[in-house]
Amino acid sequence: MIKQEPLTHAINMNSYINNDFNNTDEAKEVCIQVKDLNLYYGDKQALYNVNMDILKKKVTAYIGPSGCGKSTLLRCINRMNDLVDTVRIDGEILLDNQNINDKNLNVSALRRRVGMVFQKPNPFPKTIFENVAYGLRIQGINDKRLLAETVENALRGAALWDEMKDRLNDNALGMSGGQQQRLVIARAIAIEPEVLLLDEPASALDPISTLKIEELINELKEKYTIVIVTHNMQQAARVSDYTAFMYMGELIEMGATSDLFTNPQKKQTEDYITGRYG
Amino acid sequence: MDNVKMGHHISGQFDKDLDDIRNKVLTMGGLVELQIENAVQAFTTGDLELAEQVIKQDKEIDAYETSIDLECTQILALRQPTAFDLRFLLSVIKIIHELQRMAHKSVRVAEMAIRLEGGERKFPRYELEHMAELVIKMLHDSLDLFARLSVEGVTAITDKDSNVDREYDNILRQLITRMMEDPRNITRTLDVLWTVRALERIGDYSCFMCEHLVYMIKGQKVRLTKGEEL
Repeated sequence: MIKQEPLTHAINMNSYINNDFNNTDEAKEVCIQVKDLNLYYGDKQALYNVNMDILKKKVTAYIGPSGCGKSTLLRCINRMNDLVDTVRIDGEILLDNQNINDKNLNVSALRRRVGMVFQKPNPFPKTIFENVAYGLRIQGINDKRLLAETVENALRGAALWDEMKDRLNDNALGMSGGQQQRLVIARAIAIEPEVLLLDEPASALDPISTLKIEELINELKEKYTIVIVTHNMQQAARVSDYTAFMYMGELIEMGATSDLFTNPQKKQTEDYITGRYG
Repeated sequence: MDNVKMGHHISGQFDKDLDDIRNKVLTMGGLVELQIENAVQAFTTGDLELAEQVIKQDKEIDAYETSIDLECTQILALRQPTAFDLRFLLSVIKIIHELQRMAHKSVRVAEMAIRLEGGERKFPRYELEHMAELVIKMLHDSLDLFARLSVEGVTAITDKDSNVDREYDNILRQLITRMMEDPRNITRTLDVLWTVRALERIGDYSCFMCEHLVYMIKGQKVRLTKGEEL
C-alpha cells in the first residue's frame, strides 16, 4: 500500500498557532467619518445623530427595513441629497478629513472621488465603449490610446472584458441586466474614484448575475472603499466586512459582519436579522 | 443577550420547525436519562432483562439523533438562519451528539451488567449509585436549562462534575486495592472499572452540553470543563 503523507503537512500549523486569528495589525485607516449627522426632508427628520467610521478598502453594508434611512445616508456621502429641494443636513461627513458638506467644496470633484451605482442599471444609449469612456470625455480627455487603455482596464475591473471585448461598438442597451449593471460599475471605476457607493446593486438581477456582482465587489475592495445598501441580508453577510443596522433613521448597531450576524448585541438587530416582529 | 425568546418569527412555519426540534431534543434527552437510570439499575441489581432492553432502546436514540440532525440541516439550507436561530441550530446539532454519546455509554454499562452475570457481584455499590445519581441529576438539570433557554445554574452543574470525579477516584482506589489483593479479581474488577468510567464520561458530556448551551444563549465560547468562567 502506498504510504500517504498526512494532509496536515500541506498547512503550516505554526502560522496558525503563532498568528492571532483576529489579526489586529492590519491597518484600519478611516476613509469616511460621519459625525452627528441629522438630516431633515422638510419637517420630517430622516436621520438622527448618526456617527460612524467607514474604513478604507473595506466593504461596509447598510441593512435595515424600508424607510430606515440607509439610502439617505448613502446618498449623503456624495451629496446626492443636494438634488432634493427641502433637504437640510446638520453634522459633518469627513472624506479623508475634509468636510464634504463644506460650501466651498466642488461637488463635481467630490462625485469623481465618490462613484455611485444604483439599483437599476442606467447605461447611456451609446456604445459600450462610449459608456465607459464617458467620465473621461467630460473631463476633456480625448487621447484615443489613453481612452482605449482606461476602458479596457475598467471593463477588466468589472469582469466584463472577456465577454465584451468584441462588442465594444454595440449599443449598451442590448446587454443583459447583469451585464448592464457591471457596465455601470465599469463606468464608475473608469475615473478611478476612492469610494464606490452601491445602492442595492443586485436587487434587480438574477441569482447568477448577483453572484457575479458579489464576486466583483470582493475584487474591487482591494482598490476601493465600498459602501453598499442591500435588502438582502445574506448578501450583506457574504460581501461585507462591516455591517451597520439602521432603524427609523438611527444607527442601531455597527460591527464586524461575522459578529453582527452570529451574535448581535442589540435586541432590535437580533429581531430584524432573524426575521421576528420588530 | 438574556431572555432570548423562541418564536415570534414573521414566518410561523419557521417557529413551528424550531419548536419541533426543541421538543424532539427534550424527548431524546428524557429517553437518554431513562437509559442511564435503567443501565445503572441493571448493573447494580443484575437485572439482565433490563440490560437487554437498554441495549435495544439505543436504536431509538440513534434514530432521534439522525432525524433531528437532518431537520437542523434542512433549516440551515432553506432558511439561512442568523444570530440566536443560527446558534440554536448549531448547538442542537452538538447537544444531540453529546446525548447520543451518553446513550452509548449507558449501553456499555448494560453490557457490563450482562458480562458480570453468574459470578460474584462485588463492587462499591453505595459509591457507584451515588455517582450515577449525580450524573443523572447533571443531565436532568442541563435538559432543564435547555428547555428554559437559560444559563442560570450552569456552574452548579459543572461543579457537580468535580464531585463525580472525586467519587470516581474514590471507587478507582477501592478497585485497585481489590485487584492487588487477589489478581484473580482483575478481569471482573476491570469490567466494573469500565462501568464507573462510563458514568464519569456521562458527567463530562453533560458539562459539554452546558458549554453548548452557553454558546447558544450568550454567544460565548467558554470551556467550563477547563475552569473558564462565564
